[in-house]
Amino acid sequence: MSSEPARPAPTAEGPLPRRSLAVCALIGAAVMAAVDEVVFHQILHWHHFYDRSTRGVGLLSDGLLHTAELLGLVAGFFLYADLRRRRALAPAHGVAGVLLGLGAFQLFDGVVDHKLLRLHQIRYGVDVTGYDVAWNAGGLLLLLAGAALAVRAGRRDRDHERDRDHDRDRDHERDRDHDRDRDQGRDRNPDRPTA
Amino acid sequence: MILTLAHAHAPAASHVHAPAHAGHGGTGLFGTVVAAAALLAALTYLSAAARLRGRGDAWPRLRDLCFATGCAALALALTVTLPGGPFTAHMAQHLTVAMAAPLLLVLGRPLTLVLRALPGGSPARRALLAVAHARPVGVLLFPPLAAVLDIGGLWLLYRTPLSAQAAHHPLLGAAVHAHVLVAGLLYTFAVCQLDPVRRRWGPGRRGATLLAAGWAHAVLAKSLYATPPPGTAYAAGDLHTGSQLMYYGGDLVEVALATVLATRWYAATGRARRRRARGTPYGPSRSSATA
Repeated sequence: MSSEPARPAPTAEGPLPRRSLAVCALIGAAVMAAVDEVVFHQILHWHHFYDRSTRGVGLLSDGLLHTAELLGLVAGFFLYADLRRRRALAPAHGVAGVLLGLGAFQLFDGVVDHKLLRLHQIRYGVDVTGYDVAWNAGGLLLLLAGAALAVRAGRRDRDHERDRDHDRDRDHERDRDHDRDRDQGRDRNPDRPTA
Repeated sequence: MILTLAHAHAPAASHVHAPAHAGHGGTGLFGTVVAAAALLAALTYLSAAARLRGRGDAWPRLRDLCFATGCAALALALTVTLPGGPFTAHMAQHLTVAMAAPLLLVLGRPLTLVLRALPGGSPARRALLAVAHARPVGVLLFPPLAAVLDIGGLWLLYRTPLSAQAAHHPLLGAAVHAHVLVAGLLYTFAVCQLDPVRRRWGPGRRGATLLAAGWAHAVLAKSLYATPPPGTAYAAGDLHTGSQLMYYGGDLVEVALATVLATRWYAATGRARRRRARGTPYGPSRSSATA
């Protein structure tokens, strides 16, 4: 396998797990930010466009997040299309990445935007504690699920790699034995397929 | 949706005394001159494109459509009274003149067209190339600088008494409009980088510039929701509609700019990979520079 010469036109570069994870996490985070804006700002009108208690730093972080969300959606879409085109998408890592991105943004929004910066609350005119708990628990759940899937995908890759290395080592050993046998004028392995 | 919003707020704002009419409706002589120039530019563009096609060059019709629409939008925005309260109408005009029209004009790749249409070696073509390749032009087209000229000018306009002053002095008002248009064109041209200029910037830097400029634009738009430009007294409803129009309208143009950038990157990396697969020596490094 490894002794084969490189093919003249390699169209597939093999899966890129880290890149798949990162690109899908970017998409996940941007999608969650967009869902937040569309559902809670536009449809439910729970969140406010501008909460009068918003401080300068909150306004700044809000503007940055909003712009990053839009550009993240566009960039994520094209980077994903590029992965597909190169046949380099590692699906298991991709799914893990999406969940990580979704959960990370949800939790970040719930903790930093709502509580630390007090940019806006989830809902006005009601006791917000239950909403906060549900919001952040949901984010944490997504994040943990993503982390678990990422670990599992990574472990599976390592297992595959070990198997492959093992096979390769065995092939090497067999080749070496074969060469030695040939040099000594014996053919110990007559049914071995010729390369 | 934005338009219906603007209509909904119009009656509430119309009976409030507005500070003169900052950009509300036509902009006098300046607007007429720019509108005439825009129509002339559209006619020149279309005839040049027709000449190119006549001699067998490929020139996509979509570019004709983009450029002509951009010219028409510019002419309309500067001559027709736009709906909504004074601030909302001003913002709609501003969005068209500074963001939407420049994007459409730049998508038409006017510099490429003119360079192709003019006969090789003619003095006009040589002069145009000299300008396009001049060092000061290269400096102005440095994306972060173009962004500062564009968005920085906007902050000056809305966060100093300039906006109130411009409403009372027609000459200053015309200068503000001219700056908004030219800076918008410069910024869009630099970020999209569709036409041939000497200094090229990679997609990463242009993307970062887009992020920073979009950030500054979003923050300014949102701050206008609560605090009007100093020296002006717009009705609250008008101010809210106008600032949301600026916020979400800016988003639309920003996503369009990002899509232009990303499409070019995607096509360039695809070409580079095909070249590499064929085994041609100059592959990845060159293409990433032209992305």
